[in-house]
Amino acid sequence: MNIRRLAAFAAATIMIAACGSNNSDSATTKAPAASTAGSTAGSTAASGGTASATAPGKGATTIGFIFVGPKDDFGYNQAAYAGSQAVAKAHPDIKVLTAENVPEDDNATRVMEKMIADGATIIFATSYGHLDPALKVAAEHPEVAIVQQGNFIKGTIAANVGTYFGTVYEPVFLAGIAAGAATTSNKLGYVYAFPIPQTIANINAFELGAKLVNPKAETYVVNTSSWCDPAKQAEAASSLFAQGVDVITQHQDCTATITKAAEEAGKKVVGYHADASSLAPNGWVTGSEWAWADVYNDIVDTTVAGGFTGSKYNANYRVGYKDGKNPFVQSKYGPSVTDATKAKIADELKVISTTGSPFTGPILAQDGSTLFAAGDAPAYADIESKNTAFVQGVVGAIPAG
Amino acid sequence: MTAIVEGLPAPQREREKFDVREWFDKLSGIARIAVSLIGALIIFGVIMRLKGANPLTAYHDMLSSTFKSWDSMGDILVRATPIILAALAVSVPARAGLINVGGEGQLLMGGVAGMGTSLALGTRLPGTVTLVLMILAAALAGAAWAALAAVLRQFMGISESVTTLLLNYVALDIMFFLIYDRWKDRSGSGQPTSRALPVGQRLPLLFGRVHEGILLAVGAAVIIGLIFAFTSWGFRLRVVGGNAEAARRSGLKVGALLISAMAVGGALAGIGGLTQLAGAEFKLRSGFVAGYGYIGFLASWLGRHRPGYVVLSALLLSTIVIGGDSLQIDSQLPAASVNVLMAVTLLMVFGFGRKKAVSA
Amino acid sequence: MSLLSEVLTGGIRGGTSIEYAALGESVSERAGVVNLGTEGSMLMGALAAYAVASRSGHPWLGVLGAAIAGGLLALVHAYFVLSRKANQLATGLVVLFLGLGLTSLFGVDYVQALAPTFRPIALPGLSRIPFLGGIAFKQDPLVYMSYVTVPVMWWFIFRSRWGVLLRAAGERSEVLTTHGHRVIPIQYISVVVGGMFAGIGGAHLSIAYTKSWFENMTQGRGFVAVAVVMFAARQPFKVAAGAYLFGAALALSPALQARGYGINQFALDAIPYVVTILVLVALGKRRSGEIPEGLSKVFEAPTLG
Repeated sequence: MNIRRLAAFAAATIMIAACGSNNSDSATTKAPAASTAGSTAGSTAASGGTASATAPGKGATTIGFIFVGPKDDFGYNQAAYAGSQAVAKAHPDIKVLTAENVPEDDNATRVMEKMIADGATIIFATSYGHLDPALKVAAEHPEVAIVQQGNFIKGTIAANVGTYFGTVYEPVFLAGIAAGAATTSNKLGYVYAFPIPQTIANINAFELGAKLVNPKAETYVVNTSSWCDPAKQAEAASSLFAQGVDVITQHQDCTATITKAAEEAGKKVVGYHADASSLAPNGWVTGSEWAWADVYNDIVDTTVAGGFTGSKYNANYRVGYKDGKNPFVQSKYGPSVTDATKAKIADELKVISTTGSPFTGPILAQDGSTLFAAGDAPAYADIESKNTAFVQGVVGAIPAG
Repeated sequence: MTAIVEGLPAPQREREKFDVREWFDKLSGIARIAVSLIGALIIFGVIMRLKGANPLTAYHDMLSSTFKSWDSMGDILVRATPIILAALAVSVPARAGLINVGGEGQLLMGGVAGMGTSLALGTRLPGTVTLVLMILAAALAGAAWAALAAVLRQFMGISESVTTLLLNYVALDIMFFLIYDRWKDRSGSGQPTSRALPVGQRLPLLFGRVHEGILLAVGAAVIIGLIFAFTSWGFRLRVVGGNAEAARRSGLKVGALLISAMAVGGALAGIGGLTQLAGAEFKLRSGFVAGYGYIGFLASWLGRHRPGYVVLSALLLSTIVIGGDSLQIDSQLPAASVNVLMAVTLLMVFGFGRKKAVSA
Repeated sequence: MSLLSEVLTGGIRGGTSIEYAALGESVSERAGVVNLGTEGSMLMGALAAYAVASRSGHPWLGVLGAAIAGGLLALVHAYFVLSRKANQLATGLVVLFLGLGLTSLFGVDYVQALAPTFRPIALPGLSRIPFLGGIAFKQDPLVYMSYVTVPVMWWFIFRSRWGVLLRAAGERSEVLTTHGHRVIPIQYISVVVGGMFAGIGGAHLSIAYTKSWFENMTQGRGFVAVAVVMFAARQPFKVAAGAYLFGAALALSPALQARGYGINQFALDAIPYVVTILVLVALGKRRSGEIPEGLSKVFEAPTLG
């Protein structure tokens, strides 16, 4: 009985497999092309150019947003989700689809494909690691505009993709000033997830800001290898406190744990991603938080009007204090920040709004080599790629890589 | 939840419900599974209602969006490919009475070996040749990883279910170690990944996003089915699985059979990891095959370790995963809903899909 | 603080949630039932603790809620395994998915909520003991409760009448039957109690260690607990030691990093698992005598051939 059933199934399967192989012969020739597009969309970029009737995302009626974490993480994803809802509010005629917990792998491809099947012609891929799948999907759907939040496309940029981000290190630099003024042990702590260029730029900016008002300030760094593992965050925070760190900050997606750990330990905390001052009424210094609504809405408006290709969003768009409204804004001050510190920060805000960044040379790396040469005032687009090492004053090593 | 609490074996209640149970016990296999699945849908419908969604609309959206296009149905096959192979990796040892909880680790080792082969050979050889070597390497790595557990059982008396589970974590740390360090793509974006496989070393596409891995998976199921049915090795495995002591007395080399069963299972999972690498991901990254090994384990149990049913089970679970996209995109339910749906479905089928059987 | 004392302190702090879950799993396994859904019970406990503490304002009520929630999920496992005779390992995995899904589904509201939490308290006198005092006696109340739980559980398993029944249910169920005891109810109770402890482990994670709720915040610690039980052969004191070993391995990486060392922590992360396998190898066949019979059917392999 069993064997007979099995044999019947086997026969059927072989037939299916055989048909499959036949198909595959013809598909094999086609496959490399598709795969090429999948992996290195940048280099096989479409000529793009003029916005024709098929301008990507033109007249979009549906927009998709994907988030790597839960949309209520009190951090990065929640801010992006809030941005998506601002788009929905400002465009009542447009349907906004959202998907949370979308991993940074092939699953993201699938979810974006589903959104496109549901009619989406603009997609926001909001996590750093969503870039590969975003490029893959974009290559297969030239009619869909896909923008990715925070990563950087290398090489040629296809007509329907782009990245966007704030110059996150700018408010972090300003917060570093407050941290440098607040510390009494001269030891600052920084809990981060992965040694990606964005994070390294943040850590460097934080230390540079602190050193501006407190030459003895050092930043101790610990990575958790996870965007959100609360227990690892708790342990990282206590390790830093054990080293005498009295002001802590972080680059994590979910931010509540470290904020509360600092408050309970009587330490000070600089926020990231979200205003968490309510969690640390005493220890809150200041921080940085997202205000995505304007950027998202502008991307949507530009694209819906048919102007995506060739626009500033069809590139690695970075907006900072110098050339526009940074979507990453400074959070409010806590009770311990003095007026003098606030004034100093206001001054520095003016300075970097003129020079364009806190990374004005000369800046030395940990090992004494030059990271930014004297007179070097790097453009936004170059800052992340040039932050290849920790600056002097950062204590800790970048994990091998 | 309520349904489960009501089912508690309080003596009086048991008598009251006796009729229902008798009726249920008389149903044939297929009907029982159908009733179990419907029960699962009802329970999950109640949960959706609690979260403010309309279950009927949600189910409708799920079905219509999943089976709307060849592409989304293709996604089921893409998702099912590594799960089928991971499930077969459980089925083969299970025939010999072994429990392989290590599909996750074996998938990972397959992916690691495949990537390692590609990195070592570069583009020296033609892509297809490299791809074949990668498949072999993946099979060997998966086999070795699984056989390690069988050897420890054979010579040290340590349960393979314990060691395979522990080895999952070791495998994960090995992959992490490599992609954070030796294999990290220096020209990449900073997140830990290996470099992408060169185009020629990828599995060709059949249609849409469906790659030839599905042929490997289904082909493997067919071959395993034939081996079970027609070879003496398949027969011996079943004898060992039935009564190892008797098998030993009748002169079978039990140890060799157990180790070979585990190795074959591991090889299948290794290939499964490779299909995911060379067919869908092209890079090793931190979430590589995360959870597929465990879902494969469940698929094997759902299909009662019979290759044909195992394939169907893997397809069912993949369909739930793909359908889960609709739950959040169309019905605005949290992403985690799909876990509840999958759990409720499996519990119902495990618990009620057959007559109370002896647990293995 | 020296590196050693910092890692040991962190080992206890980070290991306690694993310890509770592993103690619970020991009870369950002693009765012959493996529960891979321990991770799910931890998640249920973590959320319930945070939610109840947040609503009621009392962390201890949160612990109670955690035990109930963890026990309820384990009850699902018990029902399907004991009453429906489903496979233990497969059911356990499914129960894990269920716990993960339910807590994510219903935990959304508590990510931003504030809740009263446990804080470290230096025990008078004891915390002054050189070296040990700073490590073991400047911890939170749930850690202190675990210090009491371990010997109590040891006494319970090996010295109490209930312990005899428990072990008999797993080791020699036919003896129980001859003496007029029903095996299934004992197993039910054991599995549920196991889940309750896992729930308390989750509570430690949410309202003592991290002071926050976040979906899937256990990140595999429930599986670690199952591994610890294997490592410890279901003996409470060894369970505690194993849990602290895992905790210390987790604490080592940040402690080294905060001192400026760059390390690839994944080599460290693998150590506890490899050590567990080595311990099992070292214990080898000697152990086989003390394995519950009911368990050996699902989980242990007699050496063959």
